Amino acid sequence: MKIKYIPVFTNDIEKQVAFFTENLGFEVYGKKNLLPDREGILIKTNSPDLFIIVLTDPDQAYTRSQIIINSHDCLSDYHNLKMAGVVFFNEPHYLPMGLGAEFFDPSGNQYLLIEERSYNSPA
Amino acid sequence: MEYLRTLRNNNVIYSGTRNNFNQQTTSDFSIRFVFSGNERYNIGKRQLSIHNDSFLILNKGTHYTSTVESAIPVQSLGISFDDKFLQDFKNSWQLKDDTLLNLNTYPFINRYEHEFDETIYPFKGDLFFNVNHLKHHLDRGLQDELLINEYLHHCLINYFQIFNEEIFQKAQRLNFLSKSTKIEILRRLNLAKEYLYSNYNTNISLDELAEYACLSVTHLLRTFRQAFHQTPHQFLVQIRLQRAKDLLRNTDYPVNEIVNMVGFDCPSSFIRLFKDRFQTTPMKYRLSF
Repeated sequence: MKIKYIPVFTNDIEKQVAFFTENLGFEVYGKKNLLPDREGILIKTNSPDLFIIVLTDPDQAYTRSQIIINSHDCLSDYHNLKMAGVVFFNEPHYLPMGLGAEFFDPSGNQYLLIEERSYNSPA
Repeated sequence: MEYLRTLRNNNVIYSGTRNNFNQQTTSDFSIRFVFSGNERYNIGKRQLSIHNDSFLILNKGTHYTSTVESAIPVQSLGISFDDKFLQDFKNSWQLKDDTLLNLNTYPFINRYEHEFDETIYPFKGDLFFNVNHLKHHLDRGLQDELLINEYLHHCLINYFQIFNEEIFQKAQRLNFLSKSTKIEILRRLNLAKEYLYSNYNTNISLDELAEYACLSVTHLLRTFRQAFHQTPHQFLVQIRLQRAKDLLRNTDYPVNEIVNMVGFDCPSSFIRLFKDRFQTTPMKYRLSF
């Protein structure tokens, strides 16, 4: 498991992306469909393999996880973390980009564990 | 590696290289996968062949024989679900809020509670990932039954999703007023599909395909296109190309021989179709591994 995305929520995606690109000097890397009906803009950071994902969520209907952790096998990691005492507030469920589950840390911060799946390649 | 795991809840998982001939009656609802080579199942008069791009559903009590007809070793995986596990799954699935809110999306839940469609389905999407993860762990001796059952639970979720996509969503595309007619026609079209999956490397005539599906040729062509947005011939070419791709990757057969093995007549048209579909030539594809 490793940290892969840091989500940033905004009501004005253009303004937020401009902040990252113009003020902080980061680059737009592409788009990612993380949540149902919510397209995110990927921002490349100076750390390899770590991206900021800018999401519109004006109604706050979806997750507000602060950190997104990449998993190669979500069911296995979910099971092992649960056995280790981590509190999940939902079971593994299917998202547009793969299988995910969310958990809290002891301070109440929220994390999303996600196994990204490329649905076009197999079979 | 060969193993037979019977879990404490009576779910059973078999993995290994199949013998040449196997005759059995399924004691529980089961799903059969093949990871290399192909395995042929005879169920009554039907002959169904599964490869690594498809899987087979067998209902409880189905009598079948299976044979291996493959130039490469046949690695297969079978999962049998105990009745109680299956029933618990259906109960929990039905009680989920999102399922209750989307009963129109999952109409099979109420109408097909005790019925499964015994045919070949495409091995794709989340089922592909979850079954491969499960096999990976079992091959390495995973003993934790809680985790194994978590995978099995998700295999059922994924199967229901594929069943819903392949049966109900495609039935909705058919131009018939009656829902039961739509479902019946779709079942027959799936017979045509299983025939194409199983006989892709032979010269299939439209007449024999229509006869197998219990439809007239005109009816078959019209409804097949409505449901799957492609003709039976386009579907057949898709299967042949996919299986040629698999042979290119996993065997040393010359391209010309693969052309014949998957049922194409002419190497040049095969190369053109392959390039159109995968944006590379067969040789370049082979050399990329």
